[in-house]
Amino acid sequence: MSAPVIRLHDVVRDFGAVRALDHLSFDLMPGTVFGFLGPNGAGKTTAIRVLLGLVRPTSGRVEVFGLDPTRDGEAVRSRAGALLEHNGLYERLNAQQNLEFFARTWHMRPTEYRPRIQELLERFGLWDRRRDVVGSWSRGMKQKLAVARAVLSRPPLVFLDEPTAGLDPVASASLRDDLARLASDGGTTVFLTTHNLGEAERLCSVVGVIRKGRLVGFGPPSDLRAARRAALVRLSGRGFSPAIMDGLATLEGVRQARSDDGDVLLEVDGSAAPLISWLVGQGVELEEVRRESATFEEAFLDLVDPDGRGEVR
Amino acid sequence: MIRDTITMARKELLEIMDQFIHFKRGGWSVIVVIIFLGIFVPLQLGPGWANLSLMFFYWPFLTASMTSTIVSDAVAGERERHTLETLLSTRLPDTSILLGKLLAAVLYGYAFALTNLLIGYITVKLRYGPLAETMSVTRFAALLVLIGAASSCIAGVGVSVSLRAATVRQAQQTFGIVLLVMMMTPLVVMQFVSEGAREAVAIRGAQYGVEGIAWRASAVLFAVAVTLLAIAVRRFKRGELVLE
Repeated sequence: MSAPVIRLHDVVRDFGAVRALDHLSFDLMPGTVFGFLGPNGAGKTTAIRVLLGLVRPTSGRVEVFGLDPTRDGEAVRSRAGALLEHNGLYERLNAQQNLEFFARTWHMRPTEYRPRIQELLERFGLWDRRRDVVGSWSRGMKQKLAVARAVLSRPPLVFLDEPTAGLDPVASASLRDDLARLASDGGTTVFLTTHNLGEAERLCSVVGVIRKGRLVGFGPPSDLRAARRAALVRLSGRGFSPAIMDGLATLEGVRQARSDDGDVLLEVDGSAAPLISWLVGQGVELEEVRRESATFEEAFLDLVDPDGRGEVR
Repeated sequence: MIRDTITMARKELLEIMDQFIHFKRGGWSVIVVIIFLGIFVPLQLGPGWANLSLMFFYWPFLTASMTSTIVSDAVAGERERHTLETLLSTRLPDTSILLGKLLAAVLYGYAFALTNLLIGYITVKLRYGPLAETMSVTRFAALLVLIGAASSCIAGVGVSVSLRAATVRQAQQTFGIVLLVMMMTPLVVMQFVSEGAREAVAIRGAQYGVEGIAWRASAVLFAVAVTLLAIAVRRFKRGELVLE
């Protein structure tokens, strides 16, 4: 079995009194498309900076390709492409000059990078605009170029911070396909952050959910959905009076009871059987009881906002 | 390291070239300066223009001034335009990033000086014909080395200032103050030197000749530039630069 590309063990990073990373631990295997999810300010960008050797962790152990990014930053960065918070493009240069500069930083030869640049620019529909200064481009075009830059050298590890931000739906879907292909064909490990949960669910084989610097969920999206503490139960029938609804909400194990499209939707911890008995005892005529699986968004919100107060970081 | 330094310098020069190609961000003003220094001044100074001792102060000073306009942008410009973190996330070593930026600024200064010298030479030749004096090879070499030394020294100061400045404007303001102090210090020091010491310096200067002084001044300026670069490399901490 191959070694993990990324290994974080009990990593802490403090900025003064603020703890940006709080005992973060996980491993990523080669070829994983990993989605790092969390609210703004949760610590996603700090984690990427730590992995690239741009920020030193306060404590804990970090390994990328078995190397310590703080000590062997150059070796780590030589095998990683990155699209960070800002696209980082040189707006006074044209697209081709931008990509050529970064190709040279990876020591690619002109015979290697010229066809690769053409391939990427054509794939993103930017080839005809390659001689235009990037400053004159739209945000979406810049984002595509920044993604092209990150994968230019075919690195075994790619960090993408919000790669589809600013892209139109067609370009987003195309980029998702490209990233999936990168991982499946080339064994590239993709480490991406996104606020688009649908995108994360479709694209990522593994997701990590971070809240206040602490990892609160890790695994395949389907596992996170299945592990959601509260189950959803849909009840169809007659006799759901306001008094019954109020009574339901006070029963043990009921997190929430609400009307939904003529039905009643219950969020329950554990089994729904005692609730059904109680409803029948109250004279409710039940026609159908159906357990529904939680959406990925609900599972995510459970993890980052367990109290449902909307106070997340 | 040399390959990475050239990569960095090439990118910087491409960005500098952009302002001339598109005549923006001072592009026009440089052309006006070239017309003034390459045509007007040589015509005013006459056929002996090339061999005036004044050239050994005039050209290094002007070239260093041009270098200073570029070098303030070195790191502060990357920070201001949000390209610094991406640059730092590449595999380029710290020294190559700094040296590349310094090299580009010095080459820009050289290109400015040589363009003006060439235009000035052609102007004087056209105007005065056989009367126009030609600079000897050793004199030209001493001038070129002094120009390079002055530019390197100024670039070293500029890169150091630019490292810690939040914006290009802040870098330029701080750099201006530092340059003023550097220029005024010798004049202030001379006020406190005795008459005898000043005479001794003047006699020693006369013994060396203009070219001899230029070679020695170049050595001092290069030493200062190397020291400043070493300090800048020590201060170049990726983590701090990203977080600033």
